[in-house]
This record gives sequence, C-alpha cells and structure tokens, in this order.
Amino acid sequence: MKTPFMTFDTKTIIRELGEVNRKLIRGTETLTEVDEIDVGTAPKELVYEEDKLRLYHYKQEGAVTCRVPVLIVYALVNRQYMLDLQPDRSIVRNLLQHGMDLYIIDWGYPTKADMYLTLDDYINGYLNACVDFVRERTKRAKINLMGVCQGGTFSAIYASLYPEKIKNLVTLVTPIDFSTDDALLFSWSKKMNADSLVDAYRIIPGDFLNAGFLMLMPFTLNIRKYLDMLDVLEDKEKLLNFLRMEKWIFDSPGQAGECLRQFIKDCYQDNKLVKGELKVGARTIDLKNITMPLLNIYASGDHLVPPSSSKPLNNLVGTTDKVLYEFKGGHIGVFVGSKSQKELAPTIAQWLHERAGGETVRNTPLRPEQPQMKAIKSAKREQSERSRGSSKREQSGAKKEKTQGRRDKKG
Amino acid sequence: MEKVKDFFDTWVKSQENFREDWIGTAKKLQQTLFGQGSATAGSSAAPGHEFVNIYNSWMAAVVNALKETGDTDVDVIKETLSKAFSSSNAYTKLYEVWLPLFKAIQEKTFSGDVDKDVVDPAKYKEVIDKIFGLSSPEAILEFYDQIAKLMQTFGVSARGFVEPWADAIQKNAKTLPQFAEGRPESLMNIFHNVFAAFDNTFGRIFHVPAVGKDREKVELLLRSFDDISIYLAKNTEYQHRMYVTGLTAMEEVIKTIARKIKDQEEIKNFDEFFDLWLDTNEKAYYALFQTKEFSQMQGELTDASLSVRKHFFKLMELYLYDFPIALRSEMDDLYKTIYDLKKKVKVLEQQIKHLSAQEVAA
Repeated sequence: MKTPFMTFDTKTIIRELGEVNRKLIRGTETLTEVDEIDVGTAPKELVYEEDKLRLYHYKQEGAVTCRVPVLIVYALVNRQYMLDLQPDRSIVRNLLQHGMDLYIIDWGYPTKADMYLTLDDYINGYLNACVDFVRERTKRAKINLMGVCQGGTFSAIYASLYPEKIKNLVTLVTPIDFSTDDALLFSWSKKMNADSLVDAYRIIPGDFLNAGFLMLMPFTLNIRKYLDMLDVLEDKEKLLNFLRMEKWIFDSPGQAGECLRQFIKDCYQDNKLVKGELKVGARTIDLKNITMPLLNIYASGDHLVPPSSSKPLNNLVGTTDKVLYEFKGGHIGVFVGSKSQKELAPTIAQWLHERAGGETVRNTPLRPEQPQMKAIKSAKREQSERSRGSSKREQSGAKKEKTQGRRDKKG
Repeated sequence: MEKVKDFFDTWVKSQENFREDWIGTAKKLQQTLFGQGSATAGSSAAPGHEFVNIYNSWMAAVVNALKETGDTDVDVIKETLSKAFSSSNAYTKLYEVWLPLFKAIQEKTFSGDVDKDVVDPAKYKEVIDKIFGLSSPEAILEFYDQIAKLMQTFGVSARGFVEPWADAIQKNAKTLPQFAEGRPESLMNIFHNVFAAFDNTFGRIFHVPAVGKDREKVELLLRSFDDISIYLAKNTEYQHRMYVTGLTAMEEVIKTIARKIKDQEEIKNFDEFFDLWLDTNEKAYYALFQTKEFSQMQGELTDASLSVRKHFFKLMELYLYDFPIALRSEMDDLYKTIYDLKKKVKVLEQQIKHLSAQEVAA
C-alpha cells in the first residue's frame, strides 16, 4: 500500500523553511571570505591592440606540437574568459596541454564612441587585423580559426572572405541558419524592431540582453539556481565556481548599435547568410568559398543556439573535408562541463593536428582511446563512402550525421 | 531693474525645478519601463520583498564589510547574495500562498476540484511580479505622480497652459488600479480622454503657426505622453497575459495534486512540492513564450518603451539646448566624425605599409 499523500505537516515545512534560511545565513559567512573571483587565469600576454580590441597569446608551458596557430574568436555578447573559466574546467588550458599554440581576441567593452561600428568593421577590420598579425608573427600564410557562438558566425564569414588565410576552420555552437524557431531568442529577435532599439540606445546595454536571456527559463534562472546555490554555500570551492559563472553571466558588454542592427535584421530576420545575400563591406558572403577543412561542433541540448541553426553550415560550405560533431550537452556545457573537458578539447586538438599539413611534431593521435574520436572517424568513413557513391554536391556531413543519444539538459 | 532680476530668478528657478522633476521622472521611467536602477527580474527590489527587508540592514552590513576588504568582485557577491535572499523569499512566499491548500489537505476538506479560493490570487500575483520584475500598480501610480509634477512645473514656465491637463492626469491616475484587474483597454481610454480634454481647451492654441521652441517642446511632450499611454496599454496587455499564464499554472498544480491524491502518491516535503510548482510554471511560461502572439506582443512592448525613451531624450535635448553643454545628438555627430576619421587613418596606414613593403622588395 502506498504512503498517504503529503506526509509532511506544518512542523516539517517550517523546519524546511528554517533550514533554507540557516543555510543562507551560514553561507553568507563563506561569501564574506571570498577574496577574489578569479577567471581567465591561464597565463597570457598582450600582443596586439587596436581601439578597444586586445589580442592575447597564451603562454605554452609545454611543447607546441601543432605549429599552425589557432586564433579563437569569441562572441561580442559576454566575455571570452568563458573558455578559461576555472583552472580545472578550461578548454584553453586543455588545448594548451594538447600542444596547441593559442591566440584569443578580447573585443572589449564598447562605449558610445563605438556606436557606429558595423559588421564590416568587426570582420574586415578588427578580425582581419588580428589574423594578419598572427600570420606575420608566426610567419605563416595560413592559420587556424576557431569561432565560438556569434564568433563562429564571424569566423565563417571571415573564412569565406579570406580562404587564402585560413588553414582550418573550427566552429562551436555557431548560429548559421537563422530561419529556425527552435530557440526563443530566434523567434523573439524576428519580432524585434532593431531600428528602434539602436536609435534609442546607440550602445545596447548588456543588461537589456541579459533580461532576455533570463526570460528563457525564468523560474530556473531566477529562483531555482539560487536555491540550489544554498546547498554549496558552505563549501568555498564550490561557491567560487558558482560565483565564477555568475560573474561571467552578468559581465555583459554593451553591443555596438550599427553592428547589432545589421546582425538582427540581416541574420535573424532575413536569414541572408544562408541565402547568400549577406553583404559585409563591399562584398557579398558566399559560404561556398569555405574550402578549407571544417569541424562544426554543435550541442544537442543547446537552448540558445539550437542544432537546427548550427548544422546547416556543413551543407553550405565548399569544402569536402568537413565534420559535423554532436556534443551531448547544452550551450554552456560545451565550455565548462566536465564531459567537455575530457571530450571536446582533445577532439579539436587531434583534428587540427591531423590537418596541420605536416607542421606537427607528431602525427599520431594524442588520445587514441577517446570514444569521441570514433564519431569523427565514423563521420569521415561515412563521408568517404558517400563521396565514392554519390556526387560531391551530396557530400554533406550534416545531412546523414548520426545523432548521439538523447537530448541533454538545457545549457 | 529689480523686476528684470526677479524675472531671471524666476526663469532660472523654473528651469531648475523642471530639471529636477525631469531627473526624477527619468529615474521612475527607467525603473518602470526598463527595470533599471533598482528592480531587475528577480532582484530584491522587485515588488513583494518583505522577506528581504527583514535582512536588509544585516545584508548592508555584510556588503559594507566586503567593500572594506577592497574586493573588486564585491558587485558579483552582493548581487548573488541579494538573489539568494530573493529566491529564498520566493520560496517562503510560496509557502504562504499555498498554506490554505496544505491546511485543506491536512484537514481533509480539499475537494480535489480546481478551486481558486484555496489560493489567494493577489498573493500569487506577488510571486509572479517578483519573478518577472513586473511593475505593480503602485509603481505606475508613483510614476504618474511624477509625470504630473513635471507637467505642473512645465505649466508654470508655459504660463499655466498645461496645468488643467496635469490635474486631469492626477485625477485619472487615481483610477488606475482597475488596470490591474485585467482590462488592457482601460489605460488607453483614460489617456485618450485626457488628450481630448486637453485638445478642446488648451490644445487649440498650438494649432496656430509656429511660436518657437516652446511650441516644439509642448508638442514633443504631448507626443511623449502619447507614447507612454501606448506603452502602458501594451504593458497592461503583457502583464495580463503573464498573470493569466501564472493562474493557469496554479490551476495545473492543483489538478496535479488532486490527481496525486487520487492515486495515493506521496509528496514527502515542501521541496518536492516546490519543484512541482516550479516545473509546472516553467512549462506553462515556455509554452506561452513559444507562441508567435507572445513574440509579437513582446516586440511591440519593447518598441513602445523605446519610443518613450527616444522622445524623452529628444525633449531633454530641446530643453537643454540653451545651456552650454554638449547634447546627445552633437556627441553623436562627433562620434561619427571620429569613426570616419579613424577608418580613413587605418586605410592610409595600410597603404603606407604596402608601399613600404613594395619599396623594400624593389
């Protein structure tokens, strides 16, 4: 026989409420002991700056085994230290340990003086200057480009404009096809009056965008998260990890108005990138110009950039060496999840080592036992089978890529 | 001479008053329209924060202690602490909301039918307000008071032309609570009545040919109030939809409990109940947010709030025009010039670089 319904009485409820408050009060003591919320601690040096942009080069404490440098391009929304949020959960440190030579762009915090910056300025201006700087510094004609989220969109656009400068392209959780309504941000952005927004603000405040992000899961992000935090309040290390994430979430730079106006109208509302109609500067973007190898990583449970927006890239590029890689997790999990530490960085490193054109110290797989590499190998096998049996036009990695398991928790 | 001095004193004083009222209005506007300055979604300053108030002084002491350490991350810690309090407040408030239901279950008087009487909708609304940072009628009333004050000050400097209108706003503002009862059209009606009254009395004077900046200011002010009325109507519609969804979720929770009672399932503790409530709400709101109608409504609401902001800034510029300070539009021009020049310099730098490279090669 089942236990009667609601076995708790008023006394136990009061005890529970009291417990919540006890945790809160005791946890506050721990909060007062927090000296600094340290993020982005992997050693790096500033090598180039232009206006508010800073380009950093990570110090390699071990040996560089892949000599083609990687330039990491993060989104304009939020900060790039998400890739190095805490020492034990850092894609950056992980890639360094796998012998990569890393550079990263910090876009900075735009002020009203930056309100006229356009997509053209960010891509043909700043990004191009960084690519050229790294090429010159490392004396290489081509470098690797790794774009994250909106930074991935920028990287794909850049690679299609300057294929002669890019050896390999890696995109992580990158929006490409904006026609999807699988994520709320996509459907909401379609109804947003970008002109009013930009005319009213000039530099769109980070808080404005954050309010939208919080609305995606209002109860979880405004209540549950902080109640769950109470369970770790007494553990300083766990609390610090929580605070690092909080710091990142609310460390939101404003957005240069003209650039955001174009991104909302041309991408979210008119889907011009996929249609081949997006103009950046004087040129129209044709993703078919992406002829270098492509590793396109998406997250199966991404509620910010849904797979349906990322996956089509593989169908649109001109290269035949393309891999579509599914990470079972959410948008944020890609960077800080414990699974991603074991899985993604080694995968990316190995994929880049294999495509370094002989510019590696060793060509053997770094971690031959990684199960994730099987996915890549299987994708490659599938690809070669397809190329044998069908026309090049049909060699899409995305189309027939197997999905791996169930949809994970939201990011 | 004395009279001239008095005239200028009065003129300066009226400018000062207007400026002060304007700043007050701008603050209220920001808080009401954009949740900035104090109330953000789920923050401690949102309506219904009695629980937080208990701890306010203690929290302030903690935060001050943190500040004394010279910690650069104090804002993150302060914000996190505030949100933790806010969340535990919601947790406690939820208990208060559902207490009659728990009692009914324990006293075996709960019929199992969906019965709204078992939960106080007003208290439930407070929880919803808190989560979404929605404006309470009191906040909007306060905002109206501020606007009326601004109008009065403006009226003095415009020889009392607009005072009757300011009175009308004040009177109508008192009838505002009805909008909270879910009548989106009520606000729009109130304001259109005000505009009509104004137009029939003092409005006519503005149909004469241009009378300089004052006329421009008044017209822009009228436009701003029209914007506000549109914004408030949209906001009422939006909030109404949010509350209705909240109430639907509440009914769903009651139904789920009734079903569990029937199946003799057990809820062991309040935490479990809290999870049930939270998941049900998250699902209900997600379903709402996914609809095209919601995207449309949210887009229109944002657009309306941005229009208010834009016209207020324009009006501010007109008022500050005579003062020796750089205006926003002037700064925009300056930024544009700097932007264009920077681009030119960068192109020239590139050209020099290429020329130098060519010379070296030659």
